[in-house]
Amino acid sequence: MTDPNVPQTPETPEAPAGSYVYDYKAAPNRQIVMPKTVPLPSYRTYLAEQKAAAEADEAKWQKSLADYETAKAKAEAEGKDAPKPPVRPVPRKDDNDLKTPWPQEATDVDLLHLQACLGDKVEEIFEQAGELVCQVAKEAVLEALLLCRDDGKLGYEMLADQTATHYPAASDFAFSVVYHLTSISRRKRLRLRILVPEGFTPESACVVYPGANWMEREIYDMLGIRFANHPDMTRILCPEDWEGYPLRKDYPTVGWGQRDISFREDRGGMLDRIALEKAGQLGINLKQPKAD
Amino acid sequence: MFKNEEMEINLGPQHPSTHGVLRVKLRLDGETITHCRPMIGYLHRGVEKICENQSFFQGQVWTDRMDYCSAVANNLGWVEANEKLFGITVPRRAQYIRTMLNEFNRLASHLIWLATHALDIGAMTVFLYAFREREDILDLNEAFCGSRLTTTAFRIGGLREDLPPGFEKMVHKFLAKFPTCLEEYENLLSENRIWKKRTVGVAKLNAEDAIAMGVTGPVLRAAGVAYDIRKAFPYAAYAEMDFEVPTRTEADTYARYLVRMAEMRQSARIIQQCMDGMPEGPVMAKLPKILRSEVNEVYHATESPKGEIGYYLVGEKGSLNPYRFHVRAPGFINLQSLPKMAEGGLIADIVAAIGTLDIVLGEIDR
Repeated sequence: MTDPNVPQTPETPEAPAGSYVYDYKAAPNRQIVMPKTVPLPSYRTYLAEQKAAAEADEAKWQKSLADYETAKAKAEAEGKDAPKPPVRPVPRKDDNDLKTPWPQEATDVDLLHLQACLGDKVEEIFEQAGELVCQVAKEAVLEALLLCRDDGKLGYEMLADQTATHYPAASDFAFSVVYHLTSISRRKRLRLRILVPEGFTPESACVVYPGANWMEREIYDMLGIRFANHPDMTRILCPEDWEGYPLRKDYPTVGWGQRDISFREDRGGMLDRIALEKAGQLGINLKQPKAD
Repeated sequence: MFKNEEMEINLGPQHPSTHGVLRVKLRLDGETITHCRPMIGYLHRGVEKICENQSFFQGQVWTDRMDYCSAVANNLGWVEANEKLFGITVPRRAQYIRTMLNEFNRLASHLIWLATHALDIGAMTVFLYAFREREDILDLNEAFCGSRLTTTAFRIGGLREDLPPGFEKMVHKFLAKFPTCLEEYENLLSENRIWKKRTVGVAKLNAEDAIAMGVTGPVLRAAGVAYDIRKAFPYAAYAEMDFEVPTRTEADTYARYLVRMAEMRQSARIIQQCMDGMPEGPVMAKLPKILRSEVNEVYHATESPKGEIGYYLVGEKGSLNPYRFHVRAPGFINLQSLPKMAEGGLIADIVAAIGTLDIVLGEIDR
């Protein structure tokens, strides 16, 4: 411990080993983990997955049966005890209040009406967690929105929300754009969905729902989807000269030029130093006693 | 000779009546606004991106920090959206406590609206009166969850803790004096000549425009549309509550004031019903230790004091964090209608128009 009464020469701070600018290639935070799956809810995919899972389960069971037969024959030939017959595993039942809402077949009149009116332009209709989903062709979105608003049987007067999701792992599209429509008079909600590839400009919904103006600006700002015939396609939350689209999955979570200083470590070291100095002044030995 | 040309000025970003950092570009012809363009984004923190990189449980603290005046209402929307995503059934007692705290939060948010709106227009006294009662509500928040503003009051699946001892007494004490407090505010404002001059017929937004622009909350109800998500799509325990949806048809700033005052009375009614009919039982659903989502997308909207707050969540199979998280902030959509309200009016009235929308820039910019 240094003597506090003796004046000390102030130590010159060490020069930083490298530049202060974050080396984002080497930094773990900067490593972007791209999603590997396409979590796009769909009744069709769900059915296909269920079928594949059931088939795989059946194949596994048949294989274990066949293995048992060969093992039994072998044991008999060698004069040993027969092996235990396989038991088909029962799916585990969890005792909790969780009931996963799987996609279900569309039975709601609105969805069926939409399908009847739009015909081939409807790609898929289903229900999940009590919500109605209608996926339409990306070129027919304006037609579908107009129908939803003006048709007497539908009457969705309000566009509650519009947003988009980036799916980099998908092969034939890059984004899904969803429109959440509300019918105030009929107390119903509906989700319209389109899938758009990179570079496609969907028609703006501003003609049908003027409230879509800012929502589409936000989508453009955050995900980089441009909308055709939009009155004012500019950034809204980020500055106008911002580079990149923050809500894309390939956008890093650590900013450009973030300083490479671990503040926590630095503060810890400083606190240690202060504690040791204070203890020295009070004559307390904070250091670990030496092992004899 | 007088020059006859339009002048362009900026209201904000650092203006005391903009409730945060809102910049409004105005073009003026004398004192009349001919063009109005709100510019937002000064408080953008990327809440959506942050929540996509955090677990379902961690995301909740960010909802407190969006609309910091109504953190409980934001929490309620978040936990219910998650419960919809996972398919969780919440115990009835937890639903009641949630409903009660949500209504207290509505009172607190409306009180802060009343205080600041009146202050903007020039009535200083109401500010002090309204903050006095708001303090009691924050004390209730503190008693329940230890925090006054950024509450993180609920958990996915229910509540962390039951009501603390002595909470009921505090609530009854508050409910006993609150109606007289409301009368005090109304005595100060309702028939006040200056208040009426500044609000009657100011910043009109008719029902047709409001629906087209997606405006919700008291602003829509003051235009005569009885759209309240608590009634239209009941959540929590609102289906079991007996309350009215106050509406007016004048669609001006004064009508919105009356609607919000009437809403406060209804909130007090709901709180009373929650206390009277509070069921016994657990407050937390049985859940696995780790929640992993399945492929699913949900949009869950609740009635926050400002309007419809909607959470859009996309779940990835086996993932611990949402694949996509989006907030439909009521202030963001409501602020869009500001040009419609302000254009053609006087420049002094834009302060009333901003105040009557009851915006909080923290949720608009996210």
